[in-house]
Amino acid sequence: MRESEPDDLHSRDYPVREDMPQQRRIWRFERLGWYALMVLIVLTLAGLFSKGPLSTTEVRSADGQLRVEYQRFLRNGSSDALVIHMRGAAHTPLALEINGELLQGFNVEMLQPQPLKASTAGEGVKLWTLSDDQGRATLHLTLRSDGVGRFDTRVSLANGATVDLSQFIYP
Amino acid sequence: MDSVLRAAAIYLVLMILFKVAGRRSLAELTTFDLVLLMVIGEATQQALLGDDFSLTNAVLVIVTLIAIDIGLSLIKQRSRWFSRLLDGGPTVVVEQGRVLHERLKRARLDEDDILEAARSAQGILEIKQIRFAILERNGKISVIPYD
Repeated sequence: MRESEPDDLHSRDYPVREDMPQQRRIWRFERLGWYALMVLIVLTLAGLFSKGPLSTTEVRSADGQLRVEYQRFLRNGSSDALVIHMRGAAHTPLALEINGELLQGFNVEMLQPQPLKASTAGEGVKLWTLSDDQGRATLHLTLRSDGVGRFDTRVSLANGATVDLSQFIYP
Repeated sequence: MDSVLRAAAIYLVLMILFKVAGRRSLAELTTFDLVLLMVIGEATQQALLGDDFSLTNAVLVIVTLIAIDIGLSLIKQRSRWFSRLLDGGPTVVVEQGRVLHERLKRARLDEDDILEAARSAQGILEIKQIRFAILERNGKISVIPYD
């Protein structure tokens, strides 16, 4: 009873005019579309669209004085953290410069701890943060993605340690 | 500007996704399908409006959506090819009391779906009483019994 007749997929003219080649293309499209959705879900889980192994990353300066944790991929309108770890002399204000497109692509919603002082530095900002007993200082930024596209940022310490990060914001 | 772009993008994405889902997916609306539709609507809403909740933005988005819809129907009216591309055509799934299994399989249907349509529309109980069953463009199954 389950056997398929060979003419199952031929076009009929009665009672309706069919276009089977077209209909088969539609079915194929549905099938391929289903695979495409699966691939998209897997990529999302992997972090291609923010928050996942592909997206969460960190860069370190060559001398290890500066380390930045960030998301490679972000979405317009979402808030994400950017953490900057600095190292220097104990109990001294460490000068950190953030330059590049960060301030154009993002709104800084929160900055913890509050820097001792801040100034503009060319296109970017310069922040002074007091280091602890071991000479470490950490700056937590909460950024709301505001732009769309790629944004390259350079973070550097006064002693020369520099990292570059590139972030992509989806619409 | 972005109101129009947002609405157009969402229209396109939803159209492609519902084409992938197939004509049958939401034709017979179960309770769960209704809930699913509402959730999809909720998820879409933010992307459509962004963070602009003004009356103007809402009007612009609605105007764009309706304009695209009318535009597509005008093109469909003029081009049979385009109409077939977007809406597909009707497909015969039962012919002279014989089920066309290969077609059913590809349309992700089974005999129970046909019998359900046959019972509710014509009071027919068996496949062999059906002269034609046709899967329509909107996903409903029309059943034509023997005279």
